[in-house]
This record gives sequence, structure tokens and C-alpha cells, in this order.
Amino acid sequence: MDFQSFMDTLQNGAFGTSIRESTLAYPIILSTHLVGMGIFGGMIAMTDLRILGLAMTKYPMADVHNQLRPYKHLGLTLVVTCGLLLAWSKAGLYWPNPFFKLKLMLLLAVAIHALVFRRSVYKSLSDMDKFGSATSSAKVAAVLSLVLWVALVAAGRWIGYWEAPNPFEQQL
Amino acid sequence: MQVFAGYDPANNPLNTNEWAFPVCEVLHIVGFAMLIGTIAIVDLRMIGVGMRRQTSAELLRDTAPWTMLGLMLVLTTGPLIFSSGPTTYIGSGDFAHWNKSFLYKMAALALAIVYNWTIHNKVANSPNPGGLGVLVGAFSMLLWASIIFAGIFIAFV
Repeated sequence: MDFQSFMDTLQNGAFGTSIRESTLAYPIILSTHLVGMGIFGGMIAMTDLRILGLAMTKYPMADVHNQLRPYKHLGLTLVVTCGLLLAWSKAGLYWPNPFFKLKLMLLLAVAIHALVFRRSVYKSLSDMDKFGSATSSAKVAAVLSLVLWVALVAAGRWIGYWEAPNPFEQQL
Repeated sequence: MQVFAGYDPANNPLNTNEWAFPVCEVLHIVGFAMLIGTIAIVDLRMIGVGMRRQTSAELLRDTAPWTMLGLMLVLTTGPLIFSSGPTTYIGSGDFAHWNKSFLYKMAALALAIVYNWTIHNKVANSPNPGGLGVLVGAFSMLLWASIIFAGIFIAFV
């Protein structure tokens, strides 16, 4: 079984179909996906902007990062759970979509970003606070984080605008 | 409706350029993340569960410019998105024909803006928001979340 038929099976199974065809479940999951983005995205942005010295500069970086962490985790869980449900319900439809694959790659990049910078940046913020300002690798991490998250939002929107090539048109 | 007489959305750059509309949507999402995320930081503090090493007044002061930037972004991109197809949102223009979810969104947004820059910020700035702060913060989060829900439901009602 190739991956496309696996994704079709997911989409057309009872669970995927019930989400896709529900007049309430689908928009509620989509709205929750965006509410999660609202709260979590804003907090990510404030943390990154703090590291860059552009926002909330009156408090230590570690204060901003550590205190917002539980809410960022909650938001991420909300966004990812809802995102998985949405993708499940249209898995076969989305798999050929290049922007869907771009979004998956960006998510992988976000995971790599977290692994790479976790120790060297996010766990060392209190040391940087003592030193007075963020190291250049912390600033690189903050810029990358902002770029990656905006790119994820953009890829998500573009999924909806890509049209699958029409095999009948190609024959003409 | 009179104001839209002679206006043909087909000539709107948002409909003739492939990129313009999705770019507006992305900026709209980034804008409300900025707007609602920064307000949520203050709300969670007033509720008493987030960033307790700072006061809500301090958090409000330091997030305010970013909240305003977010508001400006949604208030610029929102009307642009609306202009791409006014009939989707307001039908022929009479209130009776407005998309119900859009009607709620506009009413709740007007309320949320007034509420945020009056009651909400006044309570956040008070030395000890206490129980009132819990109420004000919780109502703020629910109100803003409902606006996002209403935005999505425009396409589903």
C-alpha cells in the first residue's frame, strides 16, 4: 500500500469522515486551532522579541520565558491536537498538496530548532540575564523562531489555495 | 447598498492577484496572535495564574505597544479581506441579510476594543485587581476567543 492510499484510508475511515462531514465539529476544531495560535503565537512572539531586546525589556529574559512556558505548552498542545484532527479528516486530499508537505517540513524544522537551541539558549537565559544581554546565538534562535512560525501560518493558509492539477486538462 | 454602488469586487486587486488575498489572511492571523496573545498575558496575570513575578500593571505597560500593533494589523487587513467580497459578509446590505457570524464578530469586536481600553486596562492598572481582576481577565479571554470562533464560522453558517 503506498502512502497516498494510506492517507485516503485515514481520510475515508469513520473517524476522519465524521469530522469532515460534521457541520459543527469541523469549524469548532478549526476555531480552536486558531485560538491556540492566537494565545500561543503571541506569547512566542513576546519571548522572541524579549530576547531581541525589543519587548518587555524591563524584566529578565528568564522571567518572560519561564513564566510563559506552561501556557506556550498548553497552546502548542491545543494547536497540534486540532491540527492533527483537521489533517486526519482530509489526509488523502492534502497529501498531494505541496504546501501541506511544506508545512510538515516546517514543523520538522521547528522540532530541530527546539532540540538545537534548548540547552544553548533557552536554558541559559538566566546566565545571559546576568551578563546583560542575549548572546548572538540566542538572537539567531529568536529570529529563526519568528520566521518559522510565520512561515507555518503562511503554509497553512496556502494549503487552502492550491488546486490539484486536473488530469483531463493535462491531456488537452 | 448605496456606498457600494458601482463597486465590482472582480476588479479588486485582492481578487486579481493570486498572492494578495492569502497574504492579507496571514497578516490577519499574525495580527490577532499579537493582539490576543499580549492581552492574554495580562489576563492570565489578573486571573492569578501567569507571570506572577510581575504585576498586571507592569505587564500591561510593556505589552501595550505590541497589542496596539496587533490591533492595527487586524484593522487594516480585516476591511481588505471584507472588500474582496462584501456580499459574503453582508448580503445586500440590510442587517437582516448580514451573515450572522459576521454580525456577531463585528459587535463583539467593537465591544472588545472598548472593553479592553477602558474597564480591562483600568482594572489591570489598579494596585490590586483581586477578585474583580479574575472576572475581568476571564471575560476578556472568552470575548476575544469568541471573536476568532465567529471569524471561522462566517464560512460555516
